[in-house]
Amino acid sequence: MKAAVHSQAMHFQARAGVQVRNPGLQKTLQKARPLFVGKRAKGVAGLAADGLDFEELRSACAGIRQRVVDDLDVWLEIFEERARAAGADVLWARDGADVARLVVDIARRNGAGKVVKSKSMLSEEAQLNEALSAAGIQPVETDLGEYIVQLAGEAPSHIIAPAVHKTMAEVEALFAEHHGRPRQARTSADIPAMAREARQVLRQHFLSAEMGISGANFLIAESGSAALVTNEGNGRMVTTLPRVHVVITGIEKIIPTLDDFATLMRLLPRSATGQSISNYVSLLTGTRGPGETEGPEKTVFILVDNGRAALAGSDFSDMLRCIRCGACMNHCPVYFSLGGHAYGWVYPGPMGSVLTPLYTGIENALDLPHASTGCNQCGRVCPVNIPLPALMHRLREIQNERGLRPWRERFALRAWGWLAGHPAAYRWATRRAARYLHRLADASGRIHVLGIAPGWSDGRDLPAPPGQTFHELYAARKRA
Amino acid sequence: MRLALYVTCLVDLMRPAIGFAALRLLEGAGSDVVVPPGQTCCGQPAWSAGNRPLAADLAKQAIAGLEGYDYVVIPSGSCADHVCNIYPQLLADDPAWAVRARELAARTYELSRFLNEVLALEQVPGEFAGSVTYHDSCKGLRGLGVKAQPRALLAKVRGLALRGMPECEECCGFGGAFALRFGEVSTAIVDRKCESIAAAGADAVVGGDLGCLLNIEGRLRRRGDTRTQVLHLAEVLAGPAPE
Repeated sequence: MKAAVHSQAMHFQARAGVQVRNPGLQKTLQKARPLFVGKRAKGVAGLAADGLDFEELRSACAGIRQRVVDDLDVWLEIFEERARAAGADVLWARDGADVARLVVDIARRNGAGKVVKSKSMLSEEAQLNEALSAAGIQPVETDLGEYIVQLAGEAPSHIIAPAVHKTMAEVEALFAEHHGRPRQARTSADIPAMAREARQVLRQHFLSAEMGISGANFLIAESGSAALVTNEGNGRMVTTLPRVHVVITGIEKIIPTLDDFATLMRLLPRSATGQSISNYVSLLTGTRGPGETEGPEKTVFILVDNGRAALAGSDFSDMLRCIRCGACMNHCPVYFSLGGHAYGWVYPGPMGSVLTPLYTGIENALDLPHASTGCNQCGRVCPVNIPLPALMHRLREIQNERGLRPWRERFALRAWGWLAGHPAAYRWATRRAARYLHRLADASGRIHVLGIAPGWSDGRDLPAPPGQTFHELYAARKRA
Repeated sequence: MRLALYVTCLVDLMRPAIGFAALRLLEGAGSDVVVPPGQTCCGQPAWSAGNRPLAADLAKQAIAGLEGYDYVVIPSGSCADHVCNIYPQLLADDPAWAVRARELAARTYELSRFLNEVLALEQVPGEFAGSVTYHDSCKGLRGLGVKAQPRALLAKVRGLALRGMPECEECCGFGGAFALRFGEVSTAIVDRKCESIAAAGADAVVGGDLGCLLNIEGRLRRRGDTRTQVLHLAEVLAGPAPE
């Protein structure tokens, strides 16, 4: 039984409708979209200045990731051995509940009443903050965007820009309420001041937390290290100030060598934010050594399956190459019409439309593989060459094979398919359809209401056909 | 040179003029054009819906009907992409059909690529007194590399001024069944396309796929734009039909 407990993905259709009709959200998304797209385009164009080619680099990056995915068990063993040798503990978690149990246990054994967290989407899979709070341990998100959504009691709506759905006014209201001060009029010039305000609050948490929790962008097998790629500096605080550091990450995040890390870093920041390199790149290995003044006394890796192992060797193993850059959602026309919350689980956009059904059950996310126009913008920008539209398509096929599609749809497809397979009957039916549609049109040749396809005519007219089909006219022309 | 014109199911039902325009262009260039009988739909809707057996049946029917010609020309990037890129993988496990699918794929061209790359057309009959802007449909663009060809052809139309469109490579939100299944989302996407078209400020928006054009025209009209013409590339290149 897969843990679909907190997924709302079955309500995609309804949630999408709500988000499309939310003018504040729409304004925010339309402002953010060109920034994401423009920055990534500039970043990738910048590769040429270093004598690098995007297509060559992305096959190299895909190759590194695929090499690990093909022999995941071997690389995990190597990582475990090297990480232990460097002084870290390595624990294994089968699912989200396992993660929550292990983390709460570590916090209790180390007397931690408060933990500071840097961004970890996997902790969202595990609903870790809820589990910590229930155990009487205060979790504090320290990535600015994560901090904002935590204050709002929401989930992140984007994997690298968690609060992209929030307007400045909403953030100001949250800060005023939670920082105990009166609300102020804000313009975009005040953003640095608002960030400083959050930093001041967070600094007290960094200094008083007994434990830090981070994710990892990569686990490096040869050195047993966690690689952390961040822009705000909070990751450094979380991983070095508290006595205990817990790294939670998926088992697929391994890469073989530090050289491989250098190659992947050519594309990860460029794909995500357009930067040639992020503000901070940390390689965290083992614990504080004798005579060293920084770093945790205890480091624990929790390596999480939660559905990943089952993808290795399956039709979906390509998906395990994902490096969580967010480029697919940043270039997705559907994502930028809805924002991330409509997708109903942890991961939004094209990668979410593949991962959510795979990790929470195909039958629990029937809409998501269809929530794509098939434009393949995502496939074009993916830095590790994941054929996202093909994976969504394979999920659609599995839905059909398992009889999970609604009967109306199956019936309509079967009826249409029969006609398309019988040309004489098809000609008869299309002649009738052409005349019917022609009669529905107004004087200007437009159909305003189409009873059989309200999804179409609620939002647009249908230019009406002239009443005779091509094949009908062509046959008449040949006879003449 | 004997060509087969595959008119597509949408052109057949919704706008036959595009099929006749393609016919005039190809015949005008001196080709012997046949519209093979028995053509219905390439099967892409079945494939997109995830019904592999039905998609394979319709692919076989189309392949059988389109064999024996030097080239097959399709006035749609989407349908041509399906024939060229999907048929071979759809039938890959059936050795005899896989060969036939690959052979058909190698002979099949989207209209603008055929006119440009195979016929190397130097002049076109069409005239257009005004400005047009071009929308790149996704499957043609990213599946078949249709980008420069339609623009090069439009540049040959007398009187026509080609204008750039911001974000011309962005999806219009059609996506076949997507537009019916997620109508509201599709409308939000095509709204952005309508804004790009308005920014281009041309008399007409031109594209190579009727699905996208119906979506764009339908939304433009609903938004109150009754001025901007929405035309298929073939219609502009071929000019009006003779009486």
